[in-house]
Amino acid sequence: MQEAIKVEQLSKSYGNLLAVDNISLSVKRGTVYGLLGANGAGKSTTIECILGTKQADKGLVSVLGCNPRKDRRKLFQKVGVQFQECDYQPEIKVSELCEETACLYKTPADWRELCTQFGIGSKTKNAVNSLSGGERQRLFIVLALISNPELVFLDELTTGLDTKARRGVWKILSNLKEKGLTIFLTSHFMDEVEALCDEICILKTGKVVFYGTVEQAKATSGCDKFEDAYLMLSGEEVDGE
Amino acid sequence: MRSFLILFKNELKLNIRNMNMVIFAVIMPLIVLVILGLLNGTKLAAEGAEYTFMEQSLSALCAISICAGGLMGLPLVVSEYRERKILKRFQVTPVSPIKLLMVELSIYIVYCMVSMITLIPAAMIFWKVTIHGTWSAFLGSWLITMISTLSIGMMVGGVAKNAKSASVIACLLYFPMLFFSGTTLPFEVMPEAMQKIVSMFPMTQGIQLMKVTFLGLPVDNIGLPVIVMGAVTILCTVVAIKCFKWE
Repeated sequence: MQEAIKVEQLSKSYGNLLAVDNISLSVKRGTVYGLLGANGAGKSTTIECILGTKQADKGLVSVLGCNPRKDRRKLFQKVGVQFQECDYQPEIKVSELCEETACLYKTPADWRELCTQFGIGSKTKNAVNSLSGGERQRLFIVLALISNPELVFLDELTTGLDTKARRGVWKILSNLKEKGLTIFLTSHFMDEVEALCDEICILKTGKVVFYGTVEQAKATSGCDKFEDAYLMLSGEEVDGE
Repeated sequence: MRSFLILFKNELKLNIRNMNMVIFAVIMPLIVLVILGLLNGTKLAAEGAEYTFMEQSLSALCAISICAGGLMGLPLVVSEYRERKILKRFQVTPVSPIKLLMVELSIYIVYCMVSMITLIPAAMIFWKVTIHGTWSAFLGSWLITMISTLSIGMMVGGVAKNAKSASVIACLLYFPMLFFSGTTLPFEVMPEAMQKIVSMFPMTQGIQLMKVTFLGLPVDNIGLPVIVMGAVTILCTVVAIKCFKWE
């Protein structure tokens, strides 16, 4: 099976607001896929419909050949998720959160090693509350990778990280991709998208406005820089330019 | 099983760190025991009674932790985890909702056990309390009282919209049951009409059953309490599992 994720004609609305409008996409195994768009364009809703944490109004979703709502327990042995908004028990320590997450999987990764890789190895005895924003963000990436997943969802993965930490995260993700991991991410940093993503999809008010590679995006828009291409394709160009 | 134990260990640690239940389910019953003990000593429950006031009260003291855990602790922790999106994080892991509920349930069982095994020896040592019935009957009554009350908590935590409404429902259940089920106000002094109403509380049935089994009184109608508590347990457990929401 070549496709890690297949989505066909997915729609989801909240009341009158059509958050996701007839989206189709497919993600090949072993690639990095970027879902882009402004705040409120429907990225998080799309991810949640793919994961099955929200029920789509219509459309088909298949993740690693499974239906995420029916085969939840089987599927999430192989899938890691980092949500944009996630919380943790008050007063929990890093080691406890990692241990509690690792114990849910049949073949978990060594979380101490992951923490060290992500530069929070010395913080495992600290309370999660006491970590800085960047450290906490890295901890949540660690949690998404604890299952030794075949596929990982990272929603705004490097928000809150400094430049050096972002580069570090990119490097680790690239290495994991070499080993066959499929990555589905959203990001507001176009340098990151350019460095990591094999294919991208740009959403605007719930609709797909571009689908292809970074190079194709530049060619279609006629821009040299990817960030300009993104702004033009997503219709987010700054007024007065 | 391994994941159950690790979750249980960590969640118990977090719960103890929070201190609320340590105070309300373990320390508070002990304080009430000491106050009642100092006031009543070893005097008889009534003129000509075959047991002391402390022996009569012990069942109700054992029920304080059950009340605190089942009607305060458990519903609040489940609804808080939902509101803070901690359950949502669990939703994208292979864990089953039943396992999570059982982990939280077990934690409150531990509190109830700790409370009982501190209360009874203390009462025995300082106020010469002895059991007149049999341990097996008393422990059986304690167990069914605890399980039925905790199942109510599980249901409230499961169906409440958010932590705030869970806390309102918890208060509506907790205080009437604490005051009127015989935990604080003796059942015998209530007017008859009120006795009929509070008889429908599973807690009342539980305390009455624990009392007669501890005091070794003749059990004339064991059917009613067992049926009330059994029905509550089954109903609440089914609702809690069926209506479980991650978000």
